[in-house]
Amino acid sequence: MRRSTAAAVGTLTGAALIIGVRLSVTPPEAPVATAPVADLGKSTSAPAKKPAENSTSKPPGNKAKPTDKPADKPADKPKSGLQDGVFKGSPAANPYGKIQVSIRVEGGEITAAEASYPTANDSATINPPAIAALKQETLKAQNADVAAVSGATYTSESYVKSLQAALDAAKA
Amino acid sequence: MGTTVSIELVEDRPDDELRRLIADVCAWFHEVDARFSTYKADSEVSRFDRGGLRLEECSADLRHVLEACADLWRDTDGYFDVYASGSLDPSGYVKGWSVEMASNRLFEAGSHNHYINAGGDIRMRGKHPDGVPWRVGIRHPWEADKMSWVLALTDGAVATSGTYERGDHVINPRTGRPAKGLRSVTVVGPDLSIADAYATAALAMGEAGVPWLAKRAADGYDSAVVTDDGRAFSSANLPAAV
Repeated sequence: MRRSTAAAVGTLTGAALIIGVRLSVTPPEAPVATAPVADLGKSTSAPAKKPAENSTSKPPGNKAKPTDKPADKPADKPKSGLQDGVFKGSPAANPYGKIQVSIRVEGGEITAAEASYPTANDSATINPPAIAALKQETLKAQNADVAAVSGATYTSESYVKSLQAALDAAKA
Repeated sequence: MGTTVSIELVEDRPDDELRRLIADVCAWFHEVDARFSTYKADSEVSRFDRGGLRLEECSADLRHVLEACADLWRDTDGYFDVYASGSLDPSGYVKGWSVEMASNRLFEAGSHNHYINAGGDIRMRGKHPDGVPWRVGIRHPWEADKMSWVLALTDGAVATSGTYERGDHVINPRTGRPAKGLRSVTVVGPDLSIADAYATAALAMGEAGVPWLAKRAADGYDSAVVTDDGRAFSSANLPAAV
């Protein structure tokens, strides 16, 4: 199971504080509704209110809509516009891997939130491209048996004295 | 061009056929000289440079050379510059290209084992008469009768640009003055036209040519360099003979 930041879950349980900001704006690419995540079902949302939570329901849309479920919400809380269920955000890639956020909504309130981090070491570390380099070595001066010699462009005059000329003469 | 061309053909063919092949290659080099020599006022390149010819009126070969030189100017950050000396001089490309073309002609005529060495730039194909890869030495930049590296190649090209024959003849296009820092640059790769231009460009860059050459290895061009103060560098996959 993904590592979760227990502290964050504990803090958010039963409250819509931080995530509540999202409630008042049009959701961006809103979380894609998926089948409820079993893990969150046993999460620390113990203080969660309702036994009649819809953890088995498949919330349809991915937009915040007015819920028409029987209101479990306390009457004095504003309508949040969230469907009950568990929602996962699309995985967002960053240099260290994919991060996915899930929220659990019960009674129109977010009761749990979790961010998953890759546990496998698939983090894409940013490596500078391997810089090719010429290696330094000792300059050799060897006599060798060769068929041809490559050198700076010789003039016709200096050719005569060159190694290539000696080779050519030997083969003629 | 004022340089000497050595050709070795390894062919089991009648003498007169081999001589015809060689004569064909020599005729080609004369054609190249007539077209591209900047020393000849009536060469096509000189006439073009003076404005006596429009680009559309130029031969296919000249247009190809000019286009290739434009690409190389870009690929070498402007260090391969046919206008570096003040007037149009594509000989840094033409030298290697003419040998590359000559080797193609020989190959198409059925000669699959040969080498052509034009002024120190070599294109080889196939194998030495003993059935082994061609062994090519890189001339030591100070001791004319010694080699600083020995390579073994079947198909490939070796181009060397250096200051120890014709002096500081390679201009740094950024300063307009003779390039300093490298005494000898050898580039080894599949195409002699490119190898020749790379060697010339690297020499023009001075010491900055060393890391620039290192990057060319990824494109299949290896190198061996000697600085003015005698330090030697080579790429990891230089095809050295064992």
